[in-house]
Amino acid sequence: MKRSLWLFLTLLCALSLGTGVGLSYAWVVSPRSLTDSQPAALRSDFKDQFRAVIAASYAATGNLPRAQARLTLLEDSNPIEALNAQAQRAIAVGEFLQADQITALALALENEADFPAPFSLPPTSDASSPGNIDSTVTPFPSPDALSFVFTGTPEIVAGQTIEATVILNTPTPRPTRTPMPTYGAPFRLVSQEAVCNPNLPDGLLQIVVYNSSRRQLAGVKVIITWDTGGEEFFTGFKPELGNGYADFLMLPDTSHAVQLALGSEIAVNLVPPVCQTPGGDPYLGGYKLTFQQP
Amino acid sequence: MKASNLFLILFAFLLGISAGLAYGWFIDPVDFYDLTPDTLRADYKTDYVLMTAEAYRVEQDPGSAARRLAIFGVQSPSTIATEALVYARANGFPESDIAILQELVTALQAWSGIRQ
Repeated sequence: MKRSLWLFLTLLCALSLGTGVGLSYAWVVSPRSLTDSQPAALRSDFKDQFRAVIAASYAATGNLPRAQARLTLLEDSNPIEALNAQAQRAIAVGEFLQADQITALALALENEADFPAPFSLPPTSDASSPGNIDSTVTPFPSPDALSFVFTGTPEIVAGQTIEATVILNTPTPRPTRTPMPTYGAPFRLVSQEAVCNPNLPDGLLQIVVYNSSRRQLAGVKVIITWDTGGEEFFTGFKPELGNGYADFLMLPDTSHAVQLALGSEIAVNLVPPVCQTPGGDPYLGGYKLTFQQP
Repeated sequence: MKASNLFLILFAFLLGISAGLAYGWFIDPVDFYDLTPDTLRADYKTDYVLMTAEAYRVEQDPGSAARRLAIFGVQSPSTIATEALVYARANGFPESDIAILQELVTALQAWSGIRQ
């Protein structure tokens, strides 16, 4: 009886030890092959690259459902926030084209409407493979479909008189401007308030930009001008204050005008107001402007 | 100790190893994060190349396309694009997508030739 118990315990130990060795090998020494992974498992910088290519593809094709399907592969908790944050990072390193494309995709997802992509090709009717989404391709015409016209040079016969042709100088039509794509309806200046807060820097102009869903928008270019100069900057460089936040230090005793490059109402006559501390000391206040898409 | 007992102990040990391997590889394998793109499944890789090709079709910038494909590692961009084209053909991608991929492959092959 005692020997059987000893044998049983020994077998149990051997089994446990073997299981431990097997698990160590399977989890630590040689985990299952690292192929066939999902985009959601990528490192964050590679995810950024993935999003940038999705945005570039969307900019080229205008195919929003396909872009959405691709973004879901990354399993971001909030794809729009992820795109906005990435747009800010792209602006910070000077990748403005990439930031524009990412912002356009974020806006399109935000609005869920027929948003004009910067470029678009007419769709075809083919079914697509990944995600079952239609692709957009314009087929090239076949050579047979192209018509060629052969022209010959007339021969000059001896004794033939050649009549001079009078060429009238007709004006060449002037090139017309190609309309630039817009990001939807122009923004409205929904509030403009003077701010007297001694804890803020003198002459601080604060700008907050919202879309129609009252979400803050990163990467929106703000243009500020005054009588002797101007400046351009973007929202989103201070994400701790909001994705759609930007600020600027106004010049004292100078009138400034502010508008958004995407199209907005213009805030004019912004002269830093003179405020007073509780102790009666004067200081320069600022303004807070809020823009929103209708 | 009897030989039969030794055999039993060895058998239990091997059984434990098998059970551990089966559990660690198939039932509850290690979850990996922070992976590099070369570990992506072939269809995801192909879709990434397709996105690059769609962007290239408008931008017409093979250098930019090559930079986008460089995340897959040491292979040349034209090789990466060619592999995607082969996968797309073998897996019934629509002709429109194959045409776009073909265009990218041709452009990258020409671009690689110019660079050499």
